[in-house]
Amino acid sequence: MTAATKTIPQQAEEFLSHPDFAEVQRVVRNAPPRYRNEMGKYSIHRASTCVSCGKCVEICQYGVHTKPEGYRQVIRPFDYKCIGPECEKSGRFCIANCPQHALSLDENPVFKTLGDCRWTPDLLASNWIMAETGRQPPKHLESQTGNSGGGFDRLRFVFPDKIPSGLRREDISTELLLNKRKNDSRPKIKIDVPWYGGGMSFGSTNIRAQLAKVRAAKAWNTFSCTGEGGYPERFIPYKDYMITQVATGLFGVREETIQRARIVEFKYAQGAKPGLGGHLLGDKNTPAVAAMREAVVGTSLFSPFPFHSVYSIEDHKKHLDWIAHVNRTALLSAKVSTPNDVEMVAVGSYCAGAHIVHMDGSYGGTGAAPNIAKKNIAMPIEYAISNVHQFLVAEGVRDEVTLIVSGGIRNPWDIAKAIAMGADGVVMGTAELVALGCIRCGCCESGRGCARGICTTDDELLQLLTVDWCTQRLINLHTAFRECLVDILYRLGIESVAALRGRTDVLMHLDYQNDKDRKQ
Amino acid sequence: MNSPVSFDGAEALIRSRKDLRPQGDWFLAPPEEEGGCGVTGFACTIPVRGKHIYEPSIQMRNRGNGKGGGIAACGLAPEDFGVSRSVLEEDYCLQVALLDSNARGEVEKEAIAPYFTIDQGGIIPTVKDFRDVPLLQVRPPDVARYFVRVKQDVLQKFAEEKKLTGLAPREIEDEFVFQNSSKLNNKFYASLGEKRAFVLSHARNLIILKVVGFAEAVVQYYCLEDSRAHVWIAHQRYPTRGRVWHPGGCHPFIGMNEALVHNGDFANYHSVCEYLAQRNLFPQFLTDTEASIMLFDLMNRAYKYPVEYIIESLAPTTELDFDRLPEEKQRVYKEIQAAQIHASPDGPWFFIIARNLMEKGFQLLGITDTAMLRPQVFALQEGEVSIGLICSEKQAIDATLASLAREDSRFSPIADMYWNARGGSSTDGGAFLLNVVPSGNGHNGTSPDYTLNVTNKFGQQVKTRPGQTHCDFSRPVTIPSSKDADAAVISRAMEQNNPQALYEHVRENTHTMDYNRLRWFASEIATRCAKDAPAFGIQALSLAIDRRYPTGDKKRSSVVATLRGGLETIFRSQPAIGGEGASTCRRITFDTRAMLRGPQEGETTLLVDATGFQPEGSECDAYLAVDAYKLGWRHIIHYNSRGTRFHAAGFGPATDGLRIDCYDNPGDYLGSGIDGLEAYVHGNAQDQLCQISKRGKVVVYGDVGQTFLYGAKGGDIYVMGNAAGRPMINAVGKPKVVINGTALDFLAESFMAGDPLTGGGFAIVNGLRVEDNGDIVALDLPYPGSNLLSLASGGAIYVRDPNRTLISEQLNGGMFGRFTNEDWKLILPYLQENERLFDIGIERDLLTVKGIARKPAAVYRKVMPKSKTADAETEEVGE
Repeated sequence: MTAATKTIPQQAEEFLSHPDFAEVQRVVRNAPPRYRNEMGKYSIHRASTCVSCGKCVEICQYGVHTKPEGYRQVIRPFDYKCIGPECEKSGRFCIANCPQHALSLDENPVFKTLGDCRWTPDLLASNWIMAETGRQPPKHLESQTGNSGGGFDRLRFVFPDKIPSGLRREDISTELLLNKRKNDSRPKIKIDVPWYGGGMSFGSTNIRAQLAKVRAAKAWNTFSCTGEGGYPERFIPYKDYMITQVATGLFGVREETIQRARIVEFKYAQGAKPGLGGHLLGDKNTPAVAAMREAVVGTSLFSPFPFHSVYSIEDHKKHLDWIAHVNRTALLSAKVSTPNDVEMVAVGSYCAGAHIVHMDGSYGGTGAAPNIAKKNIAMPIEYAISNVHQFLVAEGVRDEVTLIVSGGIRNPWDIAKAIAMGADGVVMGTAELVALGCIRCGCCESGRGCARGICTTDDELLQLLTVDWCTQRLINLHTAFRECLVDILYRLGIESVAALRGRTDVLMHLDYQNDKDRKQ
Repeated sequence: MNSPVSFDGAEALIRSRKDLRPQGDWFLAPPEEEGGCGVTGFACTIPVRGKHIYEPSIQMRNRGNGKGGGIAACGLAPEDFGVSRSVLEEDYCLQVALLDSNARGEVEKEAIAPYFTIDQGGIIPTVKDFRDVPLLQVRPPDVARYFVRVKQDVLQKFAEEKKLTGLAPREIEDEFVFQNSSKLNNKFYASLGEKRAFVLSHARNLIILKVVGFAEAVVQYYCLEDSRAHVWIAHQRYPTRGRVWHPGGCHPFIGMNEALVHNGDFANYHSVCEYLAQRNLFPQFLTDTEASIMLFDLMNRAYKYPVEYIIESLAPTTELDFDRLPEEKQRVYKEIQAAQIHASPDGPWFFIIARNLMEKGFQLLGITDTAMLRPQVFALQEGEVSIGLICSEKQAIDATLASLAREDSRFSPIADMYWNARGGSSTDGGAFLLNVVPSGNGHNGTSPDYTLNVTNKFGQQVKTRPGQTHCDFSRPVTIPSSKDADAAVISRAMEQNNPQALYEHVRENTHTMDYNRLRWFASEIATRCAKDAPAFGIQALSLAIDRRYPTGDKKRSSVVATLRGGLETIFRSQPAIGGEGASTCRRITFDTRAMLRGPQEGETTLLVDATGFQPEGSECDAYLAVDAYKLGWRHIIHYNSRGTRFHAAGFGPATDGLRIDCYDNPGDYLGSGIDGLEAYVHGNAQDQLCQISKRGKVVVYGDVGQTFLYGAKGGDIYVMGNAAGRPMINAVGKPKVVINGTALDFLAESFMAGDPLTGGGFAIVNGLRVEDNGDIVALDLPYPGSNLLSLASGGAIYVRDPNRTLISEQLNGGMFGRFTNEDWKLILPYLQENERLFDIGIERDLLTVKGIARKPAAVYRKVMPKSKTADAETEEVGE
């Protein structure tokens, strides 16, 4: 029996005894939502006058209407797939074509209540569809920008009128070199896409979601990250794709977990809550979580800020030297937030020997981060990127640092913008959770955790996810992201992600555009 | 209190500076960023040569990045600087760094010639080509040095114009020099975009020099190797900006007659600058170090605070420390805090200040922030010559002493005392002043004799044990009359293979031996064991080094140096890794490191001579040890370590059966992440010991530094002395720790180590001091800090506190639980092992209080996380 035909085991012991389960392929397969009635932008109502003639099933191109074999009646529409009134132009609009006039179309009132200005309902739905299909999101959704009124949401690409000739989509490289240091004996690790997965700890996130994250990372030759809750043994088959995080609480960090990783990440701070360490409230600290962290069941675990052993740059260097001593081949990444002097932090991390400087801006963070911190402390990542990029260029060390950014990177457009502003690549956190069905309700931290089973440690809620489904959703998401990114590069006539870095000339900011217009 | 005269003086001084205010929004300029750094300094009763500041600087090179180094020397030897003693003592030594060599003429014309009588002046000598000094990246500036006095008429006019006539003439002259330098900097450095020249120093009998490079390059480039001074300080800087072309921002910075080096950075630089600006003081180099010395000078010269109050204003005494002060002090300190708290530097910092106190001599002052967030070690050696030292890391102290001892037998390579202190502490002395005081004689142009007087901030004296002398190692050893008897002891112990017996002989007899006999005895052990029984010799001598026992009229530091010399002989006599000869030991050095191989039959121990190895990275001896372990070595001895980091770390999981011994100065992160191995530190250990340790054993025959056992999961750890701040913070699982001394603060904060009675972790704090002569003395307070087991959810602390000194204010979320028989059964085996390791007797020392044997529950108290179900401690003491 091959791994492909047998479902992925959920239990640790089973997992370790079948290494072939660790195999995973970069193949898109449809991964429909977990719930029968996924929320979409539109709702379609079928009146009782329907006679199940099947006309709608016949004409709908999007799979909204189906009549499964053996069914006498057309079943309830999958209206989340509907593209809305736009469809009318296609001539295959079910509403117009229903002989009984039994169908009606409305905007879904529930849909509008989802998300927030940053993660608009359209962005959530776009992500879900990418995760389901592995393709670019449909046009009826605003899939490129949110509604925050600033930052990425006001930035646009300026595409040339004509696509430069000679460039083929299949020749565009999305590879990212993670070790740019010269005279450095550590491996020159490359990943296939310019992003990797953010750290989410065992304790904060469903182990199945964590497993899926790293499996998808393996399929796409990129990385996921343990977060600070320890290194469950179930991850070992994927150790080449798992970053070991050393965070301020040092929970679950042991020499073997440092030694098995190809990248070790120091979490100094989080953009969502600079000045605070990780938070795991008591309810989520179940016996399994407490055992992994060797702490007391049911107590809230607050990691300190900063590292108690690091109060200065030379302490930081010593800290990096320590991990470099324990693991002789791993790349070192320093995850920092974005204070006012972020450029000094970045150059300091580089000086101390970090291969990757990971800046986490202010838009990220789950429900566990206090709102007061999330919304008020760190610098938005867009500012930090250009600051740091320009500073590193001026210092003459830009080409020896891999600058990774995170904190509110939602979609491939954000990724491309971040890179054009000067980052080498990004880390995605929330976007992966959304692909697994997160609706951004912000209740990740308390009680039993996530009602959708994503950020939970509750035995019952854990069952809401399967590793297989989550893996496929994430593989699909990565595939769709890459497709969009290649498309952007193609339209810009840029042959690689590496060549996009720092190309602010291909960006414009709507505010300044208006200024210019006003002046003219 | 405030006499009206001194108040007017302060006002007048501050008003007189109003012209120093630069144009525009100067204070909006952000400070120059830099990280922490390495700082070092010493003060000696005789002037010592500049080359001795070399060694400690080299030891701390990894605390800088070669982009800034500086030194200051105070109490200079006049003949080495080509001036008479009276010029040296009376004149201001104005040193100007000429970033633009052509600026000299202009500087002299504008800022020197019109105002000063120049007794001597010129460009100071340097090596011909800066590229001959390998550590220099950028050519250091030429430095013009002038020994000057302010012209009488200039001074008079200045005093009248600035309304300073009420001050003493010298005070006015000081102020003139101070303001003149500030103007010079404004004109030639700060305000114009072009940076052409700046004042390095302008003090009497004190100079500062700095370069873009490591500190030791200063000494080399400016030819100071043979120039002598009583007090030296040095600084390795770690600026994070990539390109630095001049040393303007380097430390030390000058106040008036004092130089300051600093490790750390302030969170409230702007607030401190605003405070200074309100008093017409404006940093010109945009570093917090400069702001620090300005604060110091303001309080010293304008407000005339005594040094204790200056210290209080910099590192305020807070919380429990404040409550423990006498009422009168509380009243004064409260006033100081009210006036000064917003200018008190916030954040990690550590200053070393060298001061010329004129007729009172010279002073070296070391002080940290209230929470002691930067590492700092003090040391003292007293004898025919005495020296006090302050450093970021202990190996820098030992390197200085070794360097001094090599050329002057009056110095011993080991200090008599080492200690830490926390800035705002009211119990450990807080900050220490190393005063080199002239003792009569010597006026009228000849050098006086000096004594060293070390006090804490309250003025209490720190002394080494009286009536003991150092050994003069330059004397040859002669065969003592006791030869046969001593030799017989060695033979018998060797025959029985009983190193303990030999150690016991040393313990019982050292106090009656003279140095000659002891030296002969140690070398006899070494020569006889070197060939046939190295393991025996190493064990016996190590026991004698590790333990404390009466040494009679001999300094323990000299006794230890003698025994350590014997150990060195054994180490040196072992066959080299690539060489011939059979022994249970093999010796590997930096030069032979490539020949590392696995142990052959009969070989058990790899001796790693750390000389020449780097403190970290792939050329570090701790790195080599990991390779050696992989090749099969199971006992590794590191010696001659000078701050090597990561000893006993990096070996990976399940290292049972591996033993690591560290001599001399092992560095930070020792034993981090251990999982099964045993490590023995024969002396003091440094910071971050046993971070994330999982399982295994570490024994420290001395003190440990900051953040010991941070994030630990387990392990059995025994510490003979003290732990500094924040031990066991965020530890989980089941670490078990015996600290025989005490800890500074935040012991076991956020401890999460389950229930000790069902397998969780705990710490035992005995609150004792093992004296140099082996006496075991209870400390006044077993734990002086606050935040004991604060915010913890698991684990327990057992404190030996027979006088019930611990109070609930020291806890933050913890409670005193009932100490039961179960608790005693739990900790007894650890105390037994503690007794075996350190000779701290359970019956004799721990359970005996003022001569009376007590029950465990009357001696130990249990601090545990607050719990509704646990029994609280009851008032009555179960006798």
